[in-house]
Amino acid sequence: MKRVLVLAMTFVLLIGASVSAAKMPVTVYASVDEENARKILSAFTQATGIPVNFVFLSSGPALARLEAEANNPQADLWLGAPSENHILAKERGLTQSYVSPSAKPLDGKFKDAEGYWHAFYMNPLGVGVRTDFLERVGAKLPITWEELFAETFKGEIQMPTPQSSGTAYNLVASFVLKMGEDQAFEYLARLHQNVQTYTQSGTAPSKALAIGQANVAIQFTPAFLQLIDEGYPVKLVFPAEGVGYEAAAVSIVKGARNLEGAQALVDWVLSVQGQNILSSEKTYFFPVHPDAELGAGLPGLSEINLIEYDAAWAGQNKARLVERWVNEVLRK
Amino acid sequence: MPANPQLLTRPSPPGVRNVVREPLIMILVGLIFVILGIFILFPLVKVVQTSLTTPKGYGLANYIHQFKSWYVLRSLYNSLLMGVLSAVGACLIGFTMAYAQTRANFPGKRFFELISIVPIISPPFIGAISLLFLFGNNGLITRHLLGIYNYPIYGLRGLLIAQIMTFFPVAYLSLKGILEAIDPTLEDAALDIGASRWQVFSKVFFPLAIPGIASSLLIIFVESLADFGNPLILAGSEFPTLAVQAYLQITGMYDLKGGAALAVALLIPSLTAFLIQKYYVAKRHYTTVTGKPTQSSVSKVNPLVNWLLFVFCVLVSVAVLLFYGVIIFGAFAKVWGYDNTLSLRNFAYVFDVGLDAVIDTIQVAIAATPISAILGMLIAFLVVRQRFMGRSALEMTALLNFALPGTVVGIGYILAFNTRPFLLTGTMTILVLNFVFRYMPAGIENGVAALQQIDPSIEEAARDLGASSLVTFRKVTLPLVVPAFFSALVFSFVRAMTAISAAVFLVSARWNLITVQILNQVGSGRLGVAAAFSVVLVVVVLLAIFIIKLLLEKVYGLKGIRLVS
Repeated sequence: MKRVLVLAMTFVLLIGASVSAAKMPVTVYASVDEENARKILSAFTQATGIPVNFVFLSSGPALARLEAEANNPQADLWLGAPSENHILAKERGLTQSYVSPSAKPLDGKFKDAEGYWHAFYMNPLGVGVRTDFLERVGAKLPITWEELFAETFKGEIQMPTPQSSGTAYNLVASFVLKMGEDQAFEYLARLHQNVQTYTQSGTAPSKALAIGQANVAIQFTPAFLQLIDEGYPVKLVFPAEGVGYEAAAVSIVKGARNLEGAQALVDWVLSVQGQNILSSEKTYFFPVHPDAELGAGLPGLSEINLIEYDAAWAGQNKARLVERWVNEVLRK
Repeated sequence: MPANPQLLTRPSPPGVRNVVREPLIMILVGLIFVILGIFILFPLVKVVQTSLTTPKGYGLANYIHQFKSWYVLRSLYNSLLMGVLSAVGACLIGFTMAYAQTRANFPGKRFFELISIVPIISPPFIGAISLLFLFGNNGLITRHLLGIYNYPIYGLRGLLIAQIMTFFPVAYLSLKGILEAIDPTLEDAALDIGASRWQVFSKVFFPLAIPGIASSLLIIFVESLADFGNPLILAGSEFPTLAVQAYLQITGMYDLKGGAALAVALLIPSLTAFLIQKYYVAKRHYTTVTGKPTQSSVSKVNPLVNWLLFVFCVLVSVAVLLFYGVIIFGAFAKVWGYDNTLSLRNFAYVFDVGLDAVIDTIQVAIAATPISAILGMLIAFLVVRQRFMGRSALEMTALLNFALPGTVVGIGYILAFNTRPFLLTGTMTILVLNFVFRYMPAGIENGVAALQQIDPSIEEAARDLGASSLVTFRKVTLPLVVPAFFSALVFSFVRAMTAISAAVFLVSARWNLITVQILNQVGSGRLGVAAAFSVVLVVVVLLAIFIIKLLLEKVYGLKGIRLVS
């Protein structure tokens, strides 16, 4: 498929930009899910005539590869994966600074001060609930975390495990940032009483929700918005106490062979035009540019009680917090 | 599975030649020692070394840190518990099926044989996926048949069902061979002198079968301990096991040292079980084969037991058919449990996103399989027919990778081959090498078993006529071991297609495998796509076996060779 894609993009290039000299393709490690990575990158090629060659790697393996290839970089750009991973990449000297002119309007939390990484979309964490389940057991839609601790939801909740999923760690770290460590772990322990299983991947709970294996699922929102759009009996809740969010970032790899192309991709994906692709291509991602359009069906950010996230702090405390989670939450 | 591991430890038969007289053989032996050193021992040493590396030089800090955690201790306990229980369960079913097959008398035996063998080619996770399809909250049986909405399938119970379904065919295959080898005339004799059927079973038959049963128990214990497919999905965080924890420690927490420590801890019970199996149990096999095939006409079981065994076989068959049927159904259903209309959507996804992985897997398996089988035969030849220093060390090293948990091998390979002079990570070569050395033991064991049945005087005659050892191997020995060679070929191919625990560490963006794709799909909850991948995988394996069988018949004129054993 990668080959077909390259072919297709080369074709687009041939007819679309035949005027300019043939452009060198940008090689991208995409940690955005495969389907959406394809949508975004195709739109980029269409808009600029620069072909893209991409492979999908989830954030852990992508970082490991960048590290392994540090002496002989194979990729020009790393697209996607929450910003804390890009902070790690910066600290390990795997990426290079580029202050994009498109980044000016972005909120400070969405970009690195030195230009090593820029966030290009964000997703709040949410709770998906099956409405047919609520009807069957005669419960009302839970709108707070507190309500999810009720007996009704025992054995119905799926969420990822922070041992392997950045999504779940985001939940843990956000709780700690919001309410302090002890209170946060008490919350997580109470939630644990109702958890059916912890999944390895951050996107698995919504799939379990779709097939009815779970009736409550906790993860980032795009998959829930898609289920609702496709007509599944699902409602999306942002619990009133607050939810965390992820900001997926983009970095240019140190030693990128096609630096010009990589910079063009960063400029484009942060521009209003690039940001609008998120809604027009139905990625269900929230744009980070203040002037970009919000996709249909996406709740306004003002309706969500977002917990301010500190990605650098979260990264530094990961080992300790996950260990505490294992010791205090799983043990119950 | 090694059908006859006990055959490996025999003294060399008369007619073996001293290697010193043939320099070519000596060079070959040296070369094989070097290869085994690089691709089996070096990675193992690297794992152990990494697990002992601390910021303050070498020490046990990683182990102490890991094993201070109640969670890791529970993982260790859980792993052992799961290993023991699934070995016992799988052997119970395997033994009963094999007993029925060899001693009872009822129709449909060929069908039951097929039912007990086909699951050998099952892709990883298949037990877990089937179980979710059948007994999950939206399962075929739980919700749609019984109206149960919240059946707790996660944890030990579900895991055991999945493991037993996965491993009972392994027990069946090795036990059937052993039960067949017990001469039925012994039981006839006991009946003749007035023993009851129960006495014959408990006093004659069963004691003769005990070493075989013990050996199956230990082999399944080792395999189940190292397995990480089903536990990853069904056990989750509630029932942690060591193999899964080692994987999560590395991929989730980026902690290679801690992961290596967990993997080494896993090594101890599995190596112990392997050594007991090889050096203690295997030596206690009773051979009652007298040379000529013996036929017995006396029924060994009374009619009631006979029909009970029949009912048991039917029940197991129903379970196997359900487990595999539901996978096929799930692969063709649009969205399992939500919209069960038939569609090719999942297959479209497989051939769109996953086609590269399918092609890669086939390429890797095709490259690894013949190398693995030839190397296996060569080592078997050297071990059985030649005499040289370190012969048993060579054999032991060559067999070692089979006893090592896949996690250990996989971690060892990334550690050993990600720096010069062996920069192999991210290539196809590393996957091929991994499969070659991991599944070569089966070739060795098949080869040894076959060679020991061939009179060395045939080879001596060739050498007396002036052929060198290598020419003799190529022109005389090799043709005689063709069936063993092809059986090793099939085994390596099946394993290379279905392996995950080591391979998951070695795949790259360019070289991916179907099994790892199944892992990704199951991990992100796309069970339908995972089922479709499994179906594709099984079809490829069946096709390959068919082609190999055809090759055997057309080229070598050999028919009715049992390839899967």
